[in-house]
Amino acid sequence: MTDLVFLALSGLVVVSAILALEAKELIYGAIWLAFSLIGVAGLFILLGAEYVAMFQIAVYVGAVVVLILFTIMLVQRERGRIVEEEEPGRLGRAGALIAGLVALVVAGAMIFLAPVSPETPEFYQVSLRELGRSLASSYSGALVILGLLIGATIVGALTLAKVEREGKSNGTA
Amino acid sequence: MEPLSSYLILSSALVGIGIYGLVSKRNAIRLLFSIELIVNAANINFVAFARYSNPPILSGWVIVLYSVAAAAMEAAVGLALILVAFRLNGTIDVRKLNRLRG
Repeated sequence: MTDLVFLALSGLVVVSAILALEAKELIYGAIWLAFSLIGVAGLFILLGAEYVAMFQIAVYVGAVVVLILFTIMLVQRERGRIVEEEEPGRLGRAGALIAGLVALVVAGAMIFLAPVSPETPEFYQVSLRELGRSLASSYSGALVILGLLIGATIVGALTLAKVEREGKSNGTA
Repeated sequence: MEPLSSYLILSSALVGIGIYGLVSKRNAIRLLFSIELIVNAANINFVAFARYSNPPILSGWVIVLYSVAAAAMEAAVGLALILVAFRLNGTIDVRKLNRLRG
């Protein structure tokens, strides 16, 4: 049963990741990316990390993909549509070759070097109480630093994306 | 219960797809997709190793929470940079954005 679910989820993740990169229209690529991220969230649930899966869906699908969609619309509105030139086939083949080699090396290294225990530990439900307590106690310093980083990032992104009124601005409200 | 190595194979396949996109794509937004895929492969590894270590450890879950937040920030800054590059150059083809080349 779990094997079937795992196979279906990993098929969803891999196929929609490929489609996200290969879809003709960039908008459809973003939608496929959302499907791939939802599949990863399903894998997290399969691994017993429901809270992480919810966080993944809320942040990735709810924020990142929506941000990407808005950016695509902004970029498209000014130009009609994004003209994506075809990559030369040579480049695509080189990319596929390098990617295959890297994936093989990474998979081999991880499988042979990982400290695999012969028997899988019994199912372990991470409780939200435990997670929250550790976030507030032993990982609280990192949480504060993460908050500072988020603040700095938001200010930086807003400063970058601000349209200046004078000069050659596009004048879009 | 599927073994740990199946999760490792899946995540290395995701890393491979992401690197393929980084090498062969020309659109800056597609490069951002590839980066997100690679980050997700790393997150799968974190959660899988945390689940399969005996006894399971909590830091795998916590570091994935932080990593997802950091990836969201990185996407926000990347998209702002893409918008600025489009406004200045009229294109987001990374092979045409070479004005800084010496």
